[in-house]
Amino acid sequence: MPESASEVNHAALLSACARKDRTALRQILELEGPKMLGIAKRMLRRQDLAEDALQDALVLIWRKASQFDPAKGSGRAWIYAVLRNRTLNMLRDGARETATDDDRLERQIDGSDLNDAWEMLGHDSELRRCLGRLETEKRSAVLMSYIWGYTHGEIAGRLSAPLGTVKAWVRRGLSSLRECMS
Amino acid sequence: MKTARRDLAELADEFVIGLCDPEEQREVEERLMKEPELAVLVELARQRFAALDAATPREAVPDSLWHRVEKRLDAVEESLVAPEAKESHAEAPVDLRAEREKRSRSLVWTAAASLAASLVLAIALVWNLMTTIEPQVIAVLVNDAGQPVAMIEGAENNATEVTLLGETDVPAGTILQLWTKPDPDGPPVSLGIFDEPKQTVLQAAGLPVPKPDQLYEITFEQPGGSPTGLPTGPILGKGLAREPR
Repeated sequence: MPESASEVNHAALLSACARKDRTALRQILELEGPKMLGIAKRMLRRQDLAEDALQDALVLIWRKASQFDPAKGSGRAWIYAVLRNRTLNMLRDGARETATDDDRLERQIDGSDLNDAWEMLGHDSELRRCLGRLETEKRSAVLMSYIWGYTHGEIAGRLSAPLGTVKAWVRRGLSSLRECMS
Repeated sequence: MKTARRDLAELADEFVIGLCDPEEQREVEERLMKEPELAVLVELARQRFAALDAATPREAVPDSLWHRVEKRLDAVEESLVAPEAKESHAEAPVDLRAEREKRSRSLVWTAAASLAASLVLAIALVWNLMTTIEPQVIAVLVNDAGQPVAMIEGAENNATEVTLLGETDVPAGTILQLWTKPDPDGPPVSLGIFDEPKQTVLQAAGLPVPKPDQLYEITFEQPGGSPTGLPTGPILGKGLAREPR
């Protein structure tokens, strides 16, 4: 489906949600639910928590749909921002602490979903090309934050680097991406 | 304010990728409302990273999730019905029928607030059954053998009533999805999914008023509907709309 058609679609669904049309919310779940759940699960590492995050996000979309302004941004991006926001808040509220040790152990030895996420971007992706230009530690720091929801401290722990160094990596990484993609 | 002296582009990026601490995050959320420049930078950052969301592997959403969401919507509606009705009066052009419906509904909800959840559900069901459609167009869908399999009644507001005719055999693990082509040369658009072979009202959003000669089609799709947004499964039946006279 062309990009513009899918954008019109999401904005229209959100305005229908603002008019309290439940089928529109259900369509959002049908269209985007599987990816939204995938994103939440990659951060929260547990199916039940990820389902809670998706459920919360849908209720928030329903309640806040009238605040969405199609003139200011894409409907699709807004929907994902609500989900990411909710998932990050769950993480910060300690949801990750309740993840089982096994999950965390698995994460410790297997960073492959980070590479997968980047490689799944496709060869013609501008983001992929620009991430590819970053030094490994800067790229990892940015991706650990976006994909796993890691804090500066968690990235520092994972990369065995001082906190100040990690903050600088992230900032330089982000600024290189802004330049590369502008 | 903790974020006051930060470089805006950097702050927007860190907010979007999730590196703001809770205090910074609250501040940015407030500032977004009144600082258009920051709002634009946040939107640009979201768009830069959106490809990572789109490239996420899909996870199957359990069917029960929608029901859990609906229960919570009922609760939201019950608690917010008064202020929200006011808001939409101010913004939307007044649709008399929708307004009447909303008012009756809020009466129903207020009356039912103290009753058991099952009773609320029963009232909602009766309400749904009582809602009828004033069709703008009617289409009879026929299968490959030319047998009528469904009647479609499309209303001006894109509510569509589907009545299946005769015995419909829905294969296990599939649901039914109704499609239409508002633009004869454009792609089919989903009007909704349903899984029980009986009379159903589907409500689609953002489509033009249905016209005579518009194509309607029902296909068998996987639970949750076609994964591509276009019909992928076998066709139950199709037909063109006519005006009722």
